[in-house]
Amino acid sequence: MSFMENIKMALSSLMAHKMRSILTMLGIIIGVAAVIIVVAIGQGGEAMLKSQIAGPGNTVEVFYQPSEEEMQSNPNIWNEAAFNQEDLRLLETIPEVSNIVTSSSQSSTVRYRDQTLDTSVSGINQAYVDVNGLHVQDGRGLSSADFIGGRRVAIVSQSMEEELLDGESALGKIVRIGAQPVEIIGVLEPPSSMFDFGAVQMFIPFNTWKTIYGSNDITQITLQIDDTENIESAGEQATTLLNNAHNTEESYQVFNIEEMAEGIGKVTQIMTLIIGSVAGISLFVGGIGVMNIMLVSVTERTREIGIRMALGATRHQVLIQFLIESITLTLVGGILGILIGWGIASIVSAIAGWPSLISWQVVVGGLLFSMVIGIIFGLLPANKASKLDPIESLRYE
Amino acid sequence: MIRLEQIKKSYMTGSEQLDVLKGIDLTIHKGDFSAIMGPSGSGKSTLMNIIGCLDKPTSGAYYLENQDIAQYKEMDLAKVRNESIGFVFQQFQLLPRLTAKKNVELPMIYAGVKKKEREERAFEALRKVELEDRVDHLPSELSGGQKQRVAIARSLVNQPQLILADEPTGALDTKTSDAIMDIFSMLNQEGTTIILVTHEPEIAAYASKTILVRDGLIVDEEVRGAVR
Repeated sequence: MSFMENIKMALSSLMAHKMRSILTMLGIIIGVAAVIIVVAIGQGGEAMLKSQIAGPGNTVEVFYQPSEEEMQSNPNIWNEAAFNQEDLRLLETIPEVSNIVTSSSQSSTVRYRDQTLDTSVSGINQAYVDVNGLHVQDGRGLSSADFIGGRRVAIVSQSMEEELLDGESALGKIVRIGAQPVEIIGVLEPPSSMFDFGAVQMFIPFNTWKTIYGSNDITQITLQIDDTENIESAGEQATTLLNNAHNTEESYQVFNIEEMAEGIGKVTQIMTLIIGSVAGISLFVGGIGVMNIMLVSVTERTREIGIRMALGATRHQVLIQFLIESITLTLVGGILGILIGWGIASIVSAIAGWPSLISWQVVVGGLLFSMVIGIIFGLLPANKASKLDPIESLRYE
Repeated sequence: MIRLEQIKKSYMTGSEQLDVLKGIDLTIHKGDFSAIMGPSGSGKSTLMNIIGCLDKPTSGAYYLENQDIAQYKEMDLAKVRNESIGFVFQQFQLLPRLTAKKNVELPMIYAGVKKKEREERAFEALRKVELEDRVDHLPSELSGGQKQRVAIARSLVNQPQLILADEPTGALDTKTSDAIMDIFSMLNQEGTTIILVTHEPEIAAYASKTILVRDGLIVDEEVRGAVR
């Protein structure tokens, strides 16, 4: 008897008891759907968080966290820039550091004709563009000539273009920071991630910033390290150098992205484990339900089994028939579970603005697993069916 | 074609041995139409099950086409049932969820016949029992006589050497019974060997030979000149 014959037979006998079949599948459906949802949302979230936090590879941010004493002796410490040009030169001596990304930010009022807007103006260096990549939607980005020459050019965020220019194109417009004019040469792409709310922002070359604000100070430093392996040692060297230079104990610290990404990975892992075991229990209980209903089915169909045997079905064929029936039951449950899980994951991700990731591995895994459950829990009923005595079975009422 | 030699069958009930068949010797020739008769408890059903390869004798030899079936394994017996024997039961034994045609196809499914050929042969068999206009009916939509005709179509669709009919008219009224028996007579005239189990003399009268079983032994064999 062919495999297709068996499948058709199994489907028709499942269809004969629709309600019962669906109720039996429920455990499998819930279990598989739970797995799909957890994995889809977990993987999607992890991928998103990692891409947002880790940013471009091999970077480590240096930050200044003043101690209690320092804050007491200087209440204004938060308003002062954390780094100076001397720090930059010190950091450049670390061999593992391949790039130093700097930005100096100040909140300023920017004016275009009679419109004004409070915005953060950042003076950035060439490395900032190389590492972070300023993705310009209209116009052009900052060129090395702009950086070296300290040209009076600026890139603005899309939200700034909208608010300052009332929907007009910002390209080529001359705006004023205080009294200082700069020309807008590019507009950034709108932000794609959920942590970026499209801040009103303006980027100008550091040399231009220096002229406008009359300051050499740097607000933010991120080191790019030549190799992932060296991130930790380079970070340590940097903090030692800076703390020595400023005569502080531990005020200069590094923020390691890898560690944080790892931490997030761990959290999602634990979550996956918890919900995964709930799903596992559901699948197990569902499997027992399948076994139960298959045993009932074998008893109900004793006569059918007798007839089939009288007509020439071997015990092996009867076993296969019932095994395929239970596999079909769990497989259909698995397919429904995948569809439902996919639907719920999509809805959740649409509402939460959180991507869901359904990989084919998960789908195939879900299908295989539900088949395995069908085999494991179908074996006992199928075996019982194949052991029936044809004469007794034909007499069964 | 069929030769039974000293077939014995006994069951253990508790510590007591119950001898149902006590040494049956029987020969059935190709083309025979035999009726096995006997009161209930005589062992005729057991004999029928052994001839039908649904049961194995405790001892003795059973030759079907010169093969000693008594030595066969269960898997080979299933093959014999499928290919060489057609069953017709008192309770019809049709699968309730399958149409008449699908029921007739069943033995061919186990014989590994391809779908297209199966459908053709099933239709042909149903036409033979004059049910060509009921092929897509479920058993529940058929009368008793029609159900039994489906069962007969099913029994002959694999072209077996032997059709075994166990009280085929037991659940039917006289008129329908006669119609069913006419089909058996027709099949027999076409050369099919038929063994009929019955306790009704009128039904047994259709057969050309009557075998009387009592207390596990054949007590009488009566050959009539011709089919009625």
